[in-house]
Amino acid sequence: MMDFLNLIPVTWLPLLESVFYALVFPGFIAILLLAFFIIWFERKAAARVQMRYGPLWVSKRTGGIAQLLADMIRFSFQEFIVPEGADLIPFVFLPGFLLAFSVLPTLFIPIGPYYSHIFPAGYTLLLSVAFTLVIPVYLVVLGWAADNKFSFIGALREAYLLISYEVPFILAIASAFLLYGTLNLVEVVTIQERSLPGIILNPVAALVFLIAVIRATGRGPYDIVEADSELVFGPYVEYSSLMFGFVMGVPYIELYSYSLLFSVLFLGGWAPITGVGFLGGLIIPGIVTFVKAVIVMCALVFLRGVYPRYKLDKAVRAGWSWVFYLALIALLLSAFMSRVL
Amino acid sequence: MTQEIKTIPFTYEALSQLKMSEGVLELQIGPAHAGSGHMRIVAWVEGDTVVKVDPDIGFVHRGVEKLSEDRIYIKAIPMVERPSLVDTVNANLGYVMALERLLGIEPPPRAQYIRVITAEISRIMSHLYGIAIYGIFMGSSTVFMWAMADREPFIDLLQELTGARITYSHIIPGGVRWDLPKDFAENAEIALKYLENRTKDYEKVWINNPVVVARSMGVGKLSAEGAIRLGVVGPNLRASGVKYDIRKEEPYAAYEEFDFEVPTFKEGDSYSRLLQRVEEIKQSIHIIRQALKRLPDGKIIYEDYYKRMSPLMKKIYDEKGRVKFTLMLTSLSPPKGEAVSRVEGGRGEMFYYLVSDGGKAPYRFRVVTPSFRNLPFFTHVMPGHKLADIPVIYGRIDYFPPRPIDDGLFEPDPRYLVAPS
Amino acid sequence: MAEKSQKKSPLSDVKGHIGALSTGFKYLIDPHRITLDYPAEVMELPSNYRGFFRLIDEKCIGCSLCEIVCPSNAIVMTQLPVAQPAQDATRPPPKFKKRPLVDWGMCIFCYFCVDVCPTEAFEPSQVHDISYFKESDYRPTFDAFLKLPESPFKGSKKVVPKVDEKKGIRYEEKVNKN
Repeated sequence: MMDFLNLIPVTWLPLLESVFYALVFPGFIAILLLAFFIIWFERKAAARVQMRYGPLWVSKRTGGIAQLLADMIRFSFQEFIVPEGADLIPFVFLPGFLLAFSVLPTLFIPIGPYYSHIFPAGYTLLLSVAFTLVIPVYLVVLGWAADNKFSFIGALREAYLLISYEVPFILAIASAFLLYGTLNLVEVVTIQERSLPGIILNPVAALVFLIAVIRATGRGPYDIVEADSELVFGPYVEYSSLMFGFVMGVPYIELYSYSLLFSVLFLGGWAPITGVGFLGGLIIPGIVTFVKAVIVMCALVFLRGVYPRYKLDKAVRAGWSWVFYLALIALLLSAFMSRVL
Repeated sequence: MTQEIKTIPFTYEALSQLKMSEGVLELQIGPAHAGSGHMRIVAWVEGDTVVKVDPDIGFVHRGVEKLSEDRIYIKAIPMVERPSLVDTVNANLGYVMALERLLGIEPPPRAQYIRVITAEISRIMSHLYGIAIYGIFMGSSTVFMWAMADREPFIDLLQELTGARITYSHIIPGGVRWDLPKDFAENAEIALKYLENRTKDYEKVWINNPVVVARSMGVGKLSAEGAIRLGVVGPNLRASGVKYDIRKEEPYAAYEEFDFEVPTFKEGDSYSRLLQRVEEIKQSIHIIRQALKRLPDGKIIYEDYYKRMSPLMKKIYDEKGRVKFTLMLTSLSPPKGEAVSRVEGGRGEMFYYLVSDGGKAPYRFRVVTPSFRNLPFFTHVMPGHKLADIPVIYGRIDYFPPRPIDDGLFEPDPRYLVAPS
Repeated sequence: MAEKSQKKSPLSDVKGHIGALSTGFKYLIDPHRITLDYPAEVMELPSNYRGFFRLIDEKCIGCSLCEIVCPSNAIVMTQLPVAQPAQDATRPPPKFKKRPLVDWGMCIFCYFCVDVCPTEAFEPSQVHDISYFKESDYRPTFDAFLKLPESPFKGSKKVVPKVDEKKGIRYEEKVNKN
């Protein structure tokens, strides 16, 4: 592979590497394959807790892992129904926007020390967090566009939760910034390689970050927006066919972006491995980061089998009370630890 | 939000002239909804607060009362079981008790004990079903799958006994149809021990789960006076502090020979109703163990009916423990009169009223199911709660859709109604 | 007994979370599955399971008690021609006989008919999972009613459910003695 790379003009190399980063790993294709895996894992984990098998019939010998592929094929044969009073352009095009914006943060999260050659790495923390905050706004518009009372209520719930849980989230990011003193994620991992992983340095911030992630993607006790038994599937209720597959997959892709950020900020990223060049500086540490992110994702989707759903007003109140206090404690802890580091 | 209100009678005419204030959204939580069972709940919400709830029942009306007027008495036994499919033995028992009171016969003691055993197993299955739908309405499919799976050992027990899984039609006037098989006692003991082991898992995952506690504690509070005035029955009544159980008040079918407690709770919110059902399961396990230990010998069918059996039927009864129907059972004509029977089902009191005019079919047959009695409570307690509490409260009443409509007059909660202009 | 459900303190909240998560994790590692791989595995039902049944023509006397007692009116007595029997000197030979015919779409398998028959002319079986393609197949002809129904899953593995105190329902394979 190195010989192949030698054939390409040197000026093209960063461009090709950026394209590889964005499209193949950890970009689009890796995300698609990961979506297959994580949805299968969630159904299997929930099924094991619930005394049953989960998806099994589609490919019996491999434990049913091709289930999502079978579902997608089935969705693509369904008719895409647009309700009569729905606002056409947001209804049809917003899921695509949602998908695009949920993939975008991964572009700004480095997975190896070679990252600085590909993208300018000065403010990666700020940029990736900024892109994750755009998605819920689209969700509110989606709920309005469907002309259905249940999706309207779901959109309102998302607006309430967005306002109350973004503040602790930003405080957790701010405490991470305070702890490491830099917005450059590659330097963040270098600092963690020198000392301890972020989760030991500031566990409170990690906890607040995780709670905010569970809220933002709607896993476990926080699937209030798509509450099954009160609003039949919330803002997404009017979707059918491939769009339904999209909007079901978008929370998992968001979960992946957040988990990648978490594993770089708090779990040490590619901590034990380091190297140079394209292979040793990007692919192999990248696999380590990726595996850490996947483990975090698996732990978060497992919560579905254990917890029921929170109520909206209690969740909003918790966001402004004890989660907020925990975030303030995280800030203080960071200020203290940054003196030590 | 609060305005001057006059209290109005809760009749159809008065309510249809009521106007809601602006900003109140009318939601149809219809029959094809994941959180409504098979009835429609029309909910008026302002923001996230529920202003009024109107349950719209009758989607599964099957006309049991009218159909039974045309059919001989014994044909109503499978019909009476079907409306409440999770708790079939108690429904069966109530009807047959009313019929026996009309006929003036009494089943032998062994049949009474077998009736108690099957009724208590049915009660355990009904409470497990209630816990299951409570879980799924709150969003945890884990408890739903667990509780439904834990009904299976009991379904298998009764399948060994009767040959069917849910609608047994086991109780007939004069006794029961099949005798206990030889290994019933040990299979029952294994199933009961399994349920006791599982209770620990339920406590950790569900009962002590902070999310469940946060969602159900303090929600849907009903005081004891409110419960009595609204006519609530069953575990919901006992969870509000009223100690009333028909098995103790008017004992039937050998219940006075057993020693069991009637648990009550003080608060009357959704969490107490959950705990109430767990306590009642424990009491049922206690009763079944006592019954199996002290099972008397003897016949399982009324002596007079046994005498009328042909030699072939007696041979089958002696060898296999299966009761064949004599010609008499197909042409029962009780003397003129009326009879009432009340049975404590899993969800509350089931009430049966039979009037006979001496013919082969009843003149009038009236059933009141417990889910219907619990409906005014749902309508009364909802205003003021949040939208997300509708499944919590409705699921915890442990509802199974009832049949005919009844008219009730009571004072509505006057907080959010606008006076008709 | 009136018990008070306590107001939980924040510490018991944390304990509750840890308890729930650890129990879920325990089941994740060691699941007690009770699903059956139907129709490759089929449950062996007890011998008194109420399934489809057949008529034994020689025992039936045409008394119509089964038609009278059926709660869903699924049995209809039909007149069938009879081959001319040996002449009896006292009375003329009957030309018709009455026999029951069951509509399987209406039958609720309550077995009132089996229990009321004075000559035990119905022979039950444990087959219950038969389905038909046409609606008219629900009303079999008399000759089809004389034969015991066949289970559509003859080649499947037969399992017997047993309840274990710790693990719940376990399936043991039934050893076929023949």
